[in-house]
Amino acid sequence: MHRAKKRFSVGKKQNLVGWLFLTPAAILIVLMSFYPMIKALFLSFKTGIGTTMTWTGTTNYTRMFQDKVFMQALNNNFLYLIIQVPIMLILALALASMLNDKHLRFKGLFRTAIFLPCATSLVSYAIIFRSLFAVDGFVNTILIKLGILNTGYNFLTFPTSARTIIIIALIWRWTGYNMIFYLSGLQNIEYSIYEAAKIDGASPFQSFWKITVPLLRPIILLTAIMSTNGTLQLFDESYNLTYGGPANATITMSHYIYNMSFKYVPNFGYAAAMSYLILILVGTLALIQMKVGDKRD
Amino acid sequence: MKKKWLALLTATTMVISLMGCGSQAATPTADATADETAPAADTEEAAPADESSSEASDSTLTVWCWDPAFNVYAMEQAAEVYKATNPDFVLNVVETPWNDVQTKLTTAASSGDLSTLPDILLMQDNAFQKNVISYPDAFVDLTSSGIDFTQFGTSKVTYSTVEDKNYGVPFDNGAVIACYRTDILEQAGYTVDDLTDITWSKYIEIGKDVLEKTGKPLLSCQAGETDVIMMMLQSAGGSLFDADGNPDMVDNDILKEVMNTYAELVSSGVCIEVNDWDQYVGSINNETVAGTVNGCWIMASIQSVPEQSEKWAITNMPKLDKAATATNYSNNGGSSWAVTSNCKNVELAADFFAKTFAGSVELYETILPSSGALATYLPAAESTVYTEPQKFFGGEAVFAKITEFAGKIPSNNTGVYYYEARDAVAVAITNLVAGADIDTELQTAEDTVNFAMGK
Repeated sequence: MHRAKKRFSVGKKQNLVGWLFLTPAAILIVLMSFYPMIKALFLSFKTGIGTTMTWTGTTNYTRMFQDKVFMQALNNNFLYLIIQVPIMLILALALASMLNDKHLRFKGLFRTAIFLPCATSLVSYAIIFRSLFAVDGFVNTILIKLGILNTGYNFLTFPTSARTIIIIALIWRWTGYNMIFYLSGLQNIEYSIYEAAKIDGASPFQSFWKITVPLLRPIILLTAIMSTNGTLQLFDESYNLTYGGPANATITMSHYIYNMSFKYVPNFGYAAAMSYLILILVGTLALIQMKVGDKRD
Repeated sequence: MKKKWLALLTATTMVISLMGCGSQAATPTADATADETAPAADTEEAAPADESSSEASDSTLTVWCWDPAFNVYAMEQAAEVYKATNPDFVLNVVETPWNDVQTKLTTAASSGDLSTLPDILLMQDNAFQKNVISYPDAFVDLTSSGIDFTQFGTSKVTYSTVEDKNYGVPFDNGAVIACYRTDILEQAGYTVDDLTDITWSKYIEIGKDVLEKTGKPLLSCQAGETDVIMMMLQSAGGSLFDADGNPDMVDNDILKEVMNTYAELVSSGVCIEVNDWDQYVGSINNETVAGTVNGCWIMASIQSVPEQSEKWAITNMPKLDKAATATNYSNNGGSSWAVTSNCKNVELAADFFAKTFAGSVELYETILPSSGALATYLPAAESTVYTEPQKFFGGEAVFAKITEFAGKIPSNNTGVYYYEARDAVAVAITNLVAGADIDTELQTAEDTVNFAMGK
């Protein structure tokens, strides 16, 4: 027994113990997450109604590119991604560096206020936004009172305004969340660097651009990947705020997948194939972002 | 070495115990569900709280339905009626919203494990065909179970009939009514009689006049929803599918007339579009509009404002001008009871329905006054309860009137791909109202449905 014990060095032994501690979690993840994913991959090569499914090869994958509604949903997702994510991240970064100022008073209050939207449930905030922008809602009442409009403007019945509202809602909901990441990243930047820059005569904008942004790069990368992932899987806003309307102008891919599984005649094979497209898109975009964003030598 | 084995043992135990947690957690949840339902089913003193549907005893039936004031109540009353002859009978109602019923049904049926399903579930009529055709093994054919389906309105039974087999016991009535605020009409110089047995063009004419004189539109609709379209379509016996189940939109003259009428309603201001259901009900209750057209279940929402008592009147809906088959009657919504294949005692379930929802006028007399659950069971209409005047609606016997409407509704073919077609038409109507060309839009809608059907 003693001899056997010697076969493992201390490092190896610690490694082994580490793995043992990881095993329970790993097994659970494999069972609960990877196993369904593999099943879904097989499912995506089948087609049929409900339980009566047959193998059809890659039909589902070619089918989705002829599906006008799905293509529209894909476009909508990318529209949200291209417009909303940059605005949100820049805003979060600006807010974070403002709130990181040592001389700012009531810092805790501001931080809480900006983070608070994140604590609201996705469904309830979507419903609140819907009532805010109703014909007789808060926004229209204000606009009429200010004399900007004569009668209520039905924001949610026009494609452009409906999309704009979704983007505004997303910014409201998620800016604080990203800001917290930046704030915690900023804690790792030595304050003396800023002081040194100030002594050298750098403007606040310069120190932001030359110190904050480069030093926060890993965190910016992280938030960019998370936001991309979140935006491509967007569901609650489309489902609860606009119901995907008007005329599918705001529907997202996840919403369409949901309809395909639970509202329409269930076609799980096709729904699984569309889910895999989202996975591929998220993976590809994350890879590109990592190649572009990660400048470590 | 000993330590290593110990560590391995600990780790294994942890894994096993964690997995154990997972399966153990499931059991209390099931119990909790049963517990929660106990208050709902408190009329059944004998209902054992820990009894789940899968291990139900011979005289117990578990039911999923969603509205405590309406279908849950009706089910409980039915159990009372049935218990008079079968004292051992136990009914266990699990309050489950329709969306959850659909999700749970989809999950159970597609995984092939039906044991999570109840004995009986309530199903929206519009989803009936889709579910029975998608999951034929999940439902019990009730055709020769002793339930007399001839006692129900034909258009209603059609919803739950698949390939000449009856899969559902009809429950509530979705007969369309037009409701008007008599006081507002009076200001404009009209009475309800002026709006009875009329066409949509007459409706728009009066509507414009009312709008001009009182500033109130006659109708409000949910933008992007096709309730009004579907009501108009069925009122002339039209469907979005032909007899073979193929989408029928481009050459469907009734649909074209319906869409043009709807676009005119919106553009003339006689109908205002709102964004969601709450705003729709709000527009009725807050006097934003002078009336509405919907399934008769809308009466419950109208009556939620007691101050408006005696200011409302009910009549039939307008009919299409051109269509030869046009009538003033249609249907919107409604549901039917389905027996699932997980039911261990189908004879009991069938006998229960035969003696209650399909055989007891007394049951309908009990549930009507307190819940407004209008029957599709035709003999019930002859009951005196139906002929009692309703103060809220100007002292008229509205229930007898609506039951009479219900008997005149033309059948319509929902088809399996009903929700796909409905959404495609919703896109078309939204674009049409925004100024698009009707033929192009209908072509797109038909293509969309054909695509969904894999053609």
